[in-house]
Amino acid sequence: MALDRLTGENSVVFTRSEQLLDLARRHSLWYLMFGIACCAIEMMHAGGPKYDFDRFGIFHRGSPRQSDVMIVAGTVNKKMAVSLKTLYEQMPEPKWVLAMGACACTGGPFRDYPNVILGVDEIVPVDVYIPGCPPRPEALQNGFLELQKAIKRRAEERVDAGRGEDRG
Amino acid sequence: MPDVAKIAADLERAGLGAVQVAEEGLGVVCRADTSDAPRVLEALKADGFEMLLDLFGADTGEGLVVTYHMRSISLDEDVYVTADLAYGGTLASVWTSYPSALYPERETAELFGLSLEGHPNPKRLLTTDAVEEPLLLKSTAVRTHEEVRRDG
Amino acid sequence: MAEHDDVREPVLIAEGASAPAGLPKGLRRVPRGVDEFATEHLIVNMGPQHPSTHGVLHVLLELDGEEVVAAEASLGYLHRGLEKLSEHRRYHQIGTLLDRADYLSGVHTELAFARALESMMEIEVPARARWLRSLLCEITRLSSHLVWMGTFGMDIGAMAPFLYILRDRDAVLDVLEEITGARMMFNYVRPGGVLYDITPKAEQMMLEFLDRFESTYLPEYHDLLTGNEIFRARVRDIGVIDRDTAVAFGLTGACLRGSGVAWDVRKERPYAAYGELDFDIPSGSKGDCWDRYMVRMEEIRVAGGLARDLLDGMPEGPYMAKVPKVLRPPEGEAYASVESPRGELGVHVVSDGSDKPTRMRLRPPSYFNLAVIDEILPGHMIADVVAVIGSIDIVLGEIDR
Repeated sequence: MALDRLTGENSVVFTRSEQLLDLARRHSLWYLMFGIACCAIEMMHAGGPKYDFDRFGIFHRGSPRQSDVMIVAGTVNKKMAVSLKTLYEQMPEPKWVLAMGACACTGGPFRDYPNVILGVDEIVPVDVYIPGCPPRPEALQNGFLELQKAIKRRAEERVDAGRGEDRG
Repeated sequence: MPDVAKIAADLERAGLGAVQVAEEGLGVVCRADTSDAPRVLEALKADGFEMLLDLFGADTGEGLVVTYHMRSISLDEDVYVTADLAYGGTLASVWTSYPSALYPERETAELFGLSLEGHPNPKRLLTTDAVEEPLLLKSTAVRTHEEVRRDG
Repeated sequence: MAEHDDVREPVLIAEGASAPAGLPKGLRRVPRGVDEFATEHLIVNMGPQHPSTHGVLHVLLELDGEEVVAAEASLGYLHRGLEKLSEHRRYHQIGTLLDRADYLSGVHTELAFARALESMMEIEVPARARWLRSLLCEITRLSSHLVWMGTFGMDIGAMAPFLYILRDRDAVLDVLEEITGARMMFNYVRPGGVLYDITPKAEQMMLEFLDRFESTYLPEYHDLLTGNEIFRARVRDIGVIDRDTAVAFGLTGACLRGSGVAWDVRKERPYAAYGELDFDIPSGSKGDCWDRYMVRMEEIRVAGGLARDLLDGMPEGPYMAKVPKVLRPPEGEAYASVESPRGELGVHVVSDGSDKPTRMRLRPPSYFNLAVIDEILPGHMIADVVAVIGSIDIVLGEIDR
């Protein structure tokens, strides 16, 4: 074990359970296979052999009940919005949302059409915005790395806040 | 190019002498009244134009035009039928001769605010009731620059 | 989002008397016999989030046990107003939108639009530009059919082909990126010609890819799927579309050719460089999923061979005609079509002489191809539904526009 080499054999490590769980969570982010438009093709490629998402512990699932992350890959319109909200609500906590591409961030090239929603954050809370039309698979991977950092940061913030309460 | 004289003669025989057949930049175009359009299409089907390739509306600013694009695979020819419509008019369905019209008729009726006649499933195709205005009419505006700005 | 709660559409209940025979079976009311064992029909919503609907298609299936009694597609989950927005863009800005219509093969949509403009403005396209257009069309046809093959395999239950095609499609996208500067949204075909000339490096990359493709990749696909006994059992005699149904529903492309009508825009109405090339149009006879599969697999092979021919015979010269900076086609209408991987993709432009079109209609092939599922799905088992939808090869960006 790498940890053994760091701390010596048969050593004991003290950590907050929250931090330990978040370590596990951020290295097994399973995303919902939910391609809406053009970005879905780049999302597929990001999971393919060349860009190989698996090495980050990122894998696709077909059901929202088994997923941690929702990648909103495409334009969301008024008809889609209801289904998107339902899918988000079906995902178990903790859950995160990645807005992939210009359409999911702001409405993109189609933003002036009255049927299009101006950014998916009007419907569900978004954690990471990935610009591009469509973003390259590398950009999507960078988005996931940013999400991992954000998860870590939030766990630390929670632990710090908890420490403050202990002292108080 | 299809034979204009032959099509005109065939339409005449079907009692549709009022239809103007002419060769235009687009191809051979038959200009018919809205009420005649289904009968024109049936007459053309008898002439061998067995496939309805496309059906769409257009807003000219004064009214609507519905264009039917037909093709004969055996003759390797295309012909267009156009019909003028008033805003909010009624589009007579042609699905009995051409089942491929089922979807585009629903779409045209929805996006141009028309009502359908004789269609077996006359409901919206692309949008929900949350979209009230017929989207493809010229009177329906797109969002302005101010509306799509996100300063927050 | 309370105002959108009415999104669920009324469901088609099959009860009551008979309907006219010409209707698609999905719309026909199915009479229920008195003596039959009474079973309750079950309505299943397939999609809009379903891995086998290739995007956001929503199909309402009415089931009697495992058998489909009626099916109805519900579209519009990706309706983003391409046609409306085109009326508010200048002609040279529309290519950006059209790329996003059929996102697996943007070049074809661009080309149809450019041809419509060229015929209105009477622009003569240089020979090299025409050959480059055909070359790009054939490479994107190849890459689009690869995605179709992988997802079709995945619908049937074979995961491996999907991983293989992603490996190979990445190689194709590298070539496309070298030529056009983009992986998917090329905006490469412009009215009057093409944006860039092909570089020697791109030519080299493409030849290397074609060598590997013909010697290794294509035989691999046939080993993985064509020779697979389970796959054959799942697609043979499933989703049969006979010739008359195909013509009546306005099917084009591989769906029409699978039903035995060898109609191809490249042959019947030659455009770009296709009039000067010699190639085969594969066609089937029965019109089942297997025929459509074999037609597309043959088209992949033909596309590879055509790309090689086009590279060999590429004429020298300019790749862009002289066109005005602001395009103002004269008043009138024009229709131009191309053979996209999914069928006949047409663009109908109505101009009033200004720098924006009055009406821009896209004739989406998979929109018409999809409409046939209302007719052919009833009578199939629920497991075959994904096979039928997969064999039609739909792209929702183009269907909903």
